[in-house]
Amino acid sequence: MSFISIQDVCFSYEEIEEGKHVTNAVDGVSLEVEQGEFVAIIGHNGCGKSTLAKHLNALLLPDSGRVLIDGDDTAVEDNTYAIREKVGLVLQNPDNQLVASIVEEDVAFGPENLGVEPSEIRRRVDAALRAVDMYDYRGHAPYRLSGGQKQRVAIAGILAIQPQCIVLDEPTAMLDPSGRQEVISTLLKLNRTQNITVVLITHFMDEAVLADRVVVMDSGKILTQGTPGDVFSQVELLKKHRLDVPQSAELIHKLRGCGLQIDKIPLTQEDCVALLEEAMR
Amino acid sequence: MVRDVAFGQYFPADSVMHRLDPRAKILLFIGYIVIIFCTFNYVSLAITTVFTALFLILSRISPVFYFKSLKVILVIVIITSLLNLFYGSGEELWQWWIFKITLNGINRAVFVTVRIVCLILASSCLTFTTSPTELTDAIERLMKPLKVIHFPVHEIAMMMSLALRFVPTLLDETDKIMQAQKARGADMESGNLIKRVKAMLPILIPLFVSAFRRAYDVATAMECRCYRGGAGRTRMKQIHMAGRDTAAFAALGLVIGGVIVCNIFLPAAI
Repeated sequence: MSFISIQDVCFSYEEIEEGKHVTNAVDGVSLEVEQGEFVAIIGHNGCGKSTLAKHLNALLLPDSGRVLIDGDDTAVEDNTYAIREKVGLVLQNPDNQLVASIVEEDVAFGPENLGVEPSEIRRRVDAALRAVDMYDYRGHAPYRLSGGQKQRVAIAGILAIQPQCIVLDEPTAMLDPSGRQEVISTLLKLNRTQNITVVLITHFMDEAVLADRVVVMDSGKILTQGTPGDVFSQVELLKKHRLDVPQSAELIHKLRGCGLQIDKIPLTQEDCVALLEEAMR
Repeated sequence: MVRDVAFGQYFPADSVMHRLDPRAKILLFIGYIVIIFCTFNYVSLAITTVFTALFLILSRISPVFYFKSLKVILVIVIITSLLNLFYGSGEELWQWWIFKITLNGINRAVFVTVRIVCLILASSCLTFTTSPTELTDAIERLMKPLKVIHFPVHEIAMMMSLALRFVPTLLDETDKIMQAQKARGADMESGNLIKRVKAMLPILIPLFVSAFRRAYDVATAMECRCYRGGAGRTRMKQIHMAGRDTAAFAALGLVIGGVIVCNIFLPAAI
């Protein structure tokens, strides 16, 4: 049994009425995520990826189908808080997620809600802030931090709940490039060193290539999924659905169109340079 | 813009005033305000002023910030002291047109000025040395008995701390909206008062809409972090009454006693 099991989930924001056509925001999605996996979900605006994210911690409940977290059904009301302890959700706007006027008090908000012992909260808060490299800022006011720092504090706030999985809904969309870099490397570190499952929803392809698995969504359905290498070699399919591919993949794809013989698709700049050097010889 | 206002800000430091229990600080503050307005002669006024100076020194915060907080209410202090100066009763010392100065007027003006200044300094000292979270936490605990009559104590404390948290964020947003409206040719600086108030509308409406949107987001984020009201919540920072709190109450007790004794045995100046 996988850690997250999404089974044929449909969800619509519209009222379901008889005889009326309803557009599903999520339309028959099935997906399994294993403990410790780093999964990226990509797709353009309105493809249902954010809606899917809100299903993972019982913020939204499916109209049909089931979402099981560690075997527990999100639709059962008694499970709600147990599920939110296991799956933490980080949202897009870092400003709106920080609820206290001091960084460490904000991080303490989650464990306080769970009724954890004060000394244990202190320990968790310190550990969470160290994990995201924000320990030195523990006494600061959130509004004085940069976007990337705020988002890392938001991640620490979720970490202090000690979840097994973190779901991030476009956490870097409002950040500058250096802030994006900070957040993504923090996520990779948490995934590698603490074996925390990461579900990263993004529309930046260079973030998606870092994942173990990439899931592509379009109009509420899963278009394709696989390792970054597999997914981004399907350049034609992604283009058809108005999705970007990493620049290096696109370059090689275009060169192929001109008759250059390269069979691998590179995902990073370094790979691309290496491939091109090889092809030039 | 409004960022420079020192009044109501918190300055983290390690001083006796910072370490006092926030509940004790609020109770002391209330007691102190009452006693300032019960001073009727110069000796008791001096006692309370010395007491104020004492806790300003104990707070170990630069006097610059206290001056800044006074600057905000300077106009109010001047107007009220002038009113008191010119409208005293009794024998006149000096007169010009409708203005006359009496001994009683001078006394009144001095008392009003000193009292307001002490009041502002004391409340600045309270907010400078107590973090907003500590303040709301203390208010929540002090109002706990009201839960018996189903008064939503936790909810109100939570709303207060959220409001305090979002003040700088919304100020930033106001600045941005103002700039955006100015870029489209909005004129906010000219015209009479009514015109200017009307010119604020294009700022207030987007600000309101965005505040609602934010509130929705904040609620979602709080739910994600397992928030479900006040029941069963613990706090990371525990507050305990300690020896220094007792000492502070004792000091206030001495001041109150001193003021009462002075009021009984010395003639009133106003």
